Order: sequence, then C-alpha cells, then structure tokens
Amino acid sequence: MSHLFNHNGAPNTGYSQPPSIETATKPSIPAGLVRRQRARWPRLSEPEMVRHYTWLSKRNFGIDTGFYPLGSCTMKHNPRVNEVIAQLPGIADIHPHQPEHHLQGLLSIYYEMQHMLEVCAGMDQVTLQPVAGAQGEFTAVRCIQEYFRLKGDTKRTKVIVPDSAHGTNPASAAMAGFEIVEIPSRVDGRIDLDALRAVADETTAAMMITNPNTLGLFEADISEASKIVHDAGGQMYYDGANFNAILGITSPGLMGFDAVHFNLHKTFSQPHGGGGPGSGPIGVKAHLAEFLPGPLADRRAPTAGEQSTAVDEFWYHWREPTHSIGKVQQWHGNAGAVIRCWAYYRRYGSGLTTMSEHAVLNANYLRYAIHKAARDEGVDHLFVDGAETDVAKHEFTLSMQPAKEQFGISAMDVAKGLLDRGYMAPTVYFPLVVPECMMIEPTETESKDTLDTFAQHFAEVLKVDAETLHAAPTTTPVRRVDEVYAARNLCLRHPFDD
Amino acid sequence: MVDQLPNLGREDEMLKAMGLQNMEDLFSDIPSDVRFKGPLPLRPPQSEEEILSDARRLLGANISMGSRTSFLGAGLYRNYIPASVFQLVTRGEFLTAYTPYQPEVSQGMLQAMWEFQSLISELVGLPIANLSLYDGSTAAAEALTCAVRVHNRKASQPNTVYVSSLTSPDKMSVMENYCQGAEITIKTLEHNDDGTLNLDSVKDAAGSCGVYLEQPNPLGVLDEGLTKTKEIVGEHTALIVGVQPVSLGMVEAPGHYGADIVVGEGQPLGSPVTAGGPLYGIFACSKPYLRLMPGRIVGRSVDVDGKEAYCLTLSTREQHIRRHRATSNICTNETLIALMGAMHMALLGPDGLHDLAYRNAAACQKAKEVLVETPGVKIVHDAPHFNEFAIEIEGSAEACLAYLDDNGIIGGFDLGRWYPSITNQILITTTDQTTQQDIEALSAQLSMWASHQGVSA
Repeated sequence: MSHLFNHNGAPNTGYSQPPSIETATKPSIPAGLVRRQRARWPRLSEPEMVRHYTWLSKRNFGIDTGFYPLGSCTMKHNPRVNEVIAQLPGIADIHPHQPEHHLQGLLSIYYEMQHMLEVCAGMDQVTLQPVAGAQGEFTAVRCIQEYFRLKGDTKRTKVIVPDSAHGTNPASAAMAGFEIVEIPSRVDGRIDLDALRAVADETTAAMMITNPNTLGLFEADISEASKIVHDAGGQMYYDGANFNAILGITSPGLMGFDAVHFNLHKTFSQPHGGGGPGSGPIGVKAHLAEFLPGPLADRRAPTAGEQSTAVDEFWYHWREPTHSIGKVQQWHGNAGAVIRCWAYYRRYGSGLTTMSEHAVLNANYLRYAIHKAARDEGVDHLFVDGAETDVAKHEFTLSMQPAKEQFGISAMDVAKGLLDRGYMAPTVYFPLVVPECMMIEPTETESKDTLDTFAQHFAEVLKVDAETLHAAPTTTPVRRVDEVYAARNLCLRHPFDD
Repeated sequence: MVDQLPNLGREDEMLKAMGLQNMEDLFSDIPSDVRFKGPLPLRPPQSEEEILSDARRLLGANISMGSRTSFLGAGLYRNYIPASVFQLVTRGEFLTAYTPYQPEVSQGMLQAMWEFQSLISELVGLPIANLSLYDGSTAAAEALTCAVRVHNRKASQPNTVYVSSLTSPDKMSVMENYCQGAEITIKTLEHNDDGTLNLDSVKDAAGSCGVYLEQPNPLGVLDEGLTKTKEIVGEHTALIVGVQPVSLGMVEAPGHYGADIVVGEGQPLGSPVTAGGPLYGIFACSKPYLRLMPGRIVGRSVDVDGKEAYCLTLSTREQHIRRHRATSNICTNETLIALMGAMHMALLGPDGLHDLAYRNAAACQKAKEVLVETPGVKIVHDAPHFNEFAIEIEGSAEACLAYLDDNGIIGGFDLGRWYPSITNQILITTTDQTTQQDIEALSAQLSMWASHQGVSA
C-alpha cells in the first residue's frame, strides 16, 4: 500500500516556489484570524508524489484499461486530441468575465455547440450552462415552473415520472419543489399509457421520461404519451441520458417533447474522470426559451470597428433571456467540457447518425453474441432478456433471476466474475423493474472482436459454480469490499491523532 | 469519424449473424412519423489535424489572461499548476473511469478521493468533507438547503437563511434557484462602511436555519468579526463560511472559529480558471450535518480478507437510492478536478501552502502599497485584504477598464456589475502570478487615466 499521509518529509520542504514580491510592510492578517496550526498535510517530494498517484492509477479501471459495458453510462472512447485542445491557453487561461471582444473564439464555439445540439434535439434554443445531467434536469423543470407561474397557472404542482426512470429525475423535480407522481411501467418496461391517462390532469406540470427507456427499448407510444400530457396542459421533458441511440435517427422534438437535457460526457465523450466533470446542456422549444439561465451565446453582423477582431462573418455576444430563471452555476457552465465535446462533434459532423447506428449495432450484436455463446456453452437457461423485444437500442438488459433461483448466483456475483476476467462490470440492479438486472451498453467504439470475446467470457462466468463466484473477484487489487462495515464504522478521513 | 468506429465496414457481417438485412432493421421499432428525414444538416466530419487547426485558430483568437497583464478575479484566481498534476491526471485509468460503483477495480480513485477528503478536512478544520460539488456557488447553495434540513425543526425562523449582502449576484442567483423549491426565504446581512460584517445585523439571524458568509469576503476583506458570529447566532443556526482555499495557508480555518459548514471554490488549488468550468466545489461539515449532506463520500473499509479497501458510503442519502427524498439530485460531480486539487495539495504540503498563501498576500499588499500612492486612485476599505480589494477611480469604472484594455491590461472587475448603484469602483485581483512589473504597469496606466480625467499628480 502507498499512503499519502505516510509521507512526512522534513519541515519546510515541499514544492519549490519563487520568492514572493517584496513589500514595504509585511502582509497583515488580523490577529484573531492568524492560522494557529498549519494543516496536518503530508510532505512529499515530487518523485514521491508522482509515484503515489501512478500507483493509485494502476489500481483503477478506465475505458483505456478495458471494455467498460456500464449500462446507461455510455462509456465510449475519449479522443485524445480533445485533451490537447482543452489545455490551450485560449480556454484554460480565460476568465468568464473578460469582455466579449476577448472571447470571440469561445463564443463562436458556444454558438456552434448550441446550434448543433438544437439540430440534434429538434429544439429551438440550447443553453450550455448546466454542468451535469441532473443539473440540466433541474434547470429545465425550473424553466417549466416559471413558465406556468408567468401564465398564472399555479395549480401545476406535480411531475410524472415512470418507475423505471433514473433516480435523478424525481430528485431534480423534487428539488425544484414539485410533487412526484410515479407511474408503473408495463411488464416489458415500456410506458403504461392507461396509467399515464389516469394521472395526467390540470395539476400536471410535466412528465419526465427517457427514450429509449432505461431497458434500452424505444417507446413506440411516445407520441401518444406526449399527446396525453399536452392535452392535460403539461410539458414533456426528455431525459437525454440515452441520446447515444438516436442522433440523426429521431429527436425529442419529433417525439413531441418541450425540453431536453444532454449528457455531453456520455454522448459527446467528455471523459468521465472517475465521477465528473460532466456537462448537461438543455434545449427547449421556443415557448420556454426566454426562461433559460443566462447568458446564451448569440450573434449578429459585426460593426465596422469589430470586423478586425471577428473570427468569421459574425460578431458573437452574450444574451440574457427576458424571463430567465437566473443561474444554476456561477459562470458559463463547464466551458472546458463544452470545448472537448465541440472537438468530438467536429470529428463526426453530420456523421453523428453513423455513430448512433453503430452504438445500436454493437448493442444488438452483443446481445446476440451473449445469447449464442450461452447456448453453445449450455448456460442459456441461467438468464433471460430483461424485456421481450426484437431489437434493442444502444443498451439491453438481462435478468439473472433464473441463476439466482436455481443456484443462488446473483447479478452481483456475475458482475464480480467479469471483473476477474478483466472487464468493468455492467450496471447491476438497475432498472429496478428487472429482477437481478444486468444492464449492458457496449457503445460504438468497441470492435466486433471485443464483443465476441466478452460474450464468450460472459458465458464462461455462468459455468463457474456458485461458491467460486461468491468469492469473486480474486484477481483484483482488493477482493469484495465490505460496504456494510464502511457504513457502520465510518472512517471518512485520515485518523490523524484522533 | 472513420478512426473512431472499429466496426465500420463490418456492418453486414454483424447484421447477417443476427439474421438482419440492413441497418434499417435495427430501427424498425421507431415509428416513421418521428424519424428524421434525410441526413443531419450539419457540417461534414473532420480529421484530428483539421480539428486541432480550427481549435488553435478559434481559441487563439481569445485573449488569454497570461497574454496580458491581468487583475481580473472576483471568485476565480489565476495560479500556477505544477506540471506533474497535468501529467498524472491525464492517465487514462483516472481520466476514463466512471463513478466507482465497482470498488474492487476502482481503489485508485476511491483512495485518492478519501485522501482528498482528508486534505480538505484538515484545511478547513472540520471532520467531514465530501468528494466535491460542481463549484463554489452550488456548494454554497447546497449548504443552505442542508442547513434547513438539519435545523428547521428547532428554528424559531423556520425555512429562513441569511446571506451576506455582498455575495455576488451570480452566486446569489444559484442560491435562489436551489432554495426556492424548499420554500426557503433568503434574507441578507448588512455590512459596515469599512467592508466588515455588521455584527448587530447578525443578531437578526439567530434562530434561523443558517448564515452564509465569506472569508475573505467578496471584496477581499479579511473580517475578524466572523469569529464572533457563531456565538451570536447560536447552536441551532448553521454558520456556513465560504473560503478561498489558498488563503487558509495563513488565515484561520473556519472550523476553528465555529463554522458548521465550510464551502468554497476549490479552483485555486489544482485547476486552471478554464472560462469558469470545470471547477470543483468544496463541501465540509461537522458531524450533525453528515447524514443530511449532499454529494458522494468515500469511506475506508476492508475487503473479505480484512485488507484495507475503500468504497462509496452513506449512499442512502443519494438520488439513485432515495430518489425524490434524496438530500440532493447530484450524480456526476467534479471528481477529476478534485483529484487535481489533491495532487496540488500533496505537492505543496503544509509549508508550501503557507508559502503560496504568503505569495498571494504579498502581491495584494504590494498592489495596495503602490495604488495608494497612485494619483486618482482610492482604496475603498481600510482593512486587511487577501487576493483582492476595491478601488475607487475618477470617472466610470466601465470606461476606465476599457481604457486599460486598450493599453494591454485586463484591469479588474467593474463592481457596478454586482452592485448597480456603484459606478466608479473596480475590484483589483492579485494572485501568486502577479508580478511587481504588473502592478507598476497598472499604477502607471491608472495614473494616466486619472490625468485624462483632470486629476493632477
């Protein structure tokens, strides 16, 4: 083990810095505010620090390490040129409060990204400010809330969410002050239109739904669902977590939605960084556009004086929407993520359709390959599809319920068995409507060979006896971690002396 | 595009294996009335080289702070990030990992975040820190809603919090958006003419759920009065202090003067300014807030062999379990930027942090020493400052900043953008990157500006 806090170099060592500016009188801190004891941080030389973090990195699994079929998370390859671009001083060393004539390049990229996302989503206006998908959800329901308030429609206090929705949907709507109405899904995971009809009324502010849904199935009844909600006077909100399946094929606008968020870190490959940063722009139809957080990037013809500074035939500027809900992040969103995703978009351009086609091709192929390998290995009786369907979209679900019932092998056991074979495990136990669920999303950036090999390994894991699988993983840096112990014996920081 | 899709050209082979005819069969479940007609009306794909070339042209058209003399801060602070931080953080094992749901293969990031929690906890003087929120503003906003969850039952002013009236309107707007859903009323606390908090006004906040103050305050003033606020508001009102983390190399940790929650913009430790994001929000608290706090947290545990191991813990507060009763909707956070912060802190060590804070303080002191002698410039608050201070100039701040800009200086922040009644004040920000030459250049140009306004030297 390498422990950061075990490094205790001599006092006054550590990272070398230039001398401070000389001052006539020493900088003063009010007597009652002088720090009495320095932070008990470790002391490391650069070689020790580099080795510690390199050691840690080797105990971590990323897309670069191996196949990462984590359903709902769209773990695709992150093109490396995007990292080079994000470190350029024209983004890294920019202050958001600089005047517009300092930021023409940045503003033009913001404008281009807003426009591209508007085209893909079938929406009229996009803001890039929300910094994560959940924040995008929150921002959009806030806009919907203010839209109704301005209309004087104060009875609309409820948001409808299917029980298969991502947890962020109800959490975001509740944070904005809405009451949550959860409706059951049908046995195949699809929306139950009768259940929706039963709850959509004059108190409905919005319905939040993702399509393809969390089982990877396209909701063919989506237009009817939109009509039911709209007839009741509510708004339709599209959770863009599963956008990777539909770019250039269909759009939330075509399906009748009024607002949508994107997870740029999924669909447009901002690296997820072990938990973030992300970027969660939202797009809305015209009637909601003036409620968006400001500022938005806009453009006009340049004046004579501006022409020499302009980056193209337009002058780019910020614009404040007239009924803006205000801000959800202090600055202009995760600009660094927006730049990376702009570079990613440029790689595909109009070919984004091909990207989504390949995401769906790979998911369906992997589903086929897993079933085939399982039949060949005689383990196909140990799982069933999470939902009956001819084709899935970008992801699919399997239920390990038969394995659980017959041999006590759970979805988690299979997941841990896959870790032992060098894979990140699929998402387990979500969506909740599928018992012993494994949710598998290969993304478009995996080769057929990788998919074939994974399918074979998946089947081989199912041939392993229950006792061995309960003990898995055995080849990882640590074996199964005791999460109950962690919660009962809370140790949330280095103990120091206490 | 062709270099990103390994199965281009193998579609037929894959489709045939599945018993499908063409790609269209994969989308047969999507009704035709919601299908896109024709190709996406977007530009054609580009190669890596073309993208990089366009990026260099467009981003090169931006004026970076480093290419000028800059005094713009107001919440974000130019700093130097050690080379090793960038080298290490772009290792694919960190960069391309997801949230550590499978702890057995995520020990690296989990341990790094547990260490981050430890570093932040020590820095701010509180026992608990989470592994980051989005930025300083959302951390402050989540602190307010957390304070209400904890204190509302016993509060004589339920659903009420108090926030310094100096708080930047952008941050205030974030707070309002986060608070309105829980029907929380945000009241403001007034300040004295010298920039310090009016402690009499703090008495009004007693019995409310929480008080939000910054140290240094938004005008750079170090306010000793904050050390008395916990006593004034009492046990059942959360004292929330927003910090510039580098300042804590010299300035007392708020946890040591009664803060219950410490938040802040982590950026000055480890992250470039990056046009305002991604950054990372610091959130630390004392024990009574633990089970109602927002965000992810890592605990140290053991594996089945009793070996030290780390995992996410206390997840029952979170949206993926608690859904609409979660303490926050946050899922994706800013882990990678927090990791950069941890690396920077690890390199600095306690003494390095002190030296870094001293360099920031010295630059600020020097700027005050020079500008106090500059004709037509008045330092607004006769108080100790960290990083930044307000000056009053002749004429309008907006025009003065445009003049400085014409002369190659990003001159600071027009305080009229925060406080509309003020037209002639600029917030001057210095950091460890500010040089004596920078300060002299600013002074010379402000002096020229003053003479244009009719002030004689």
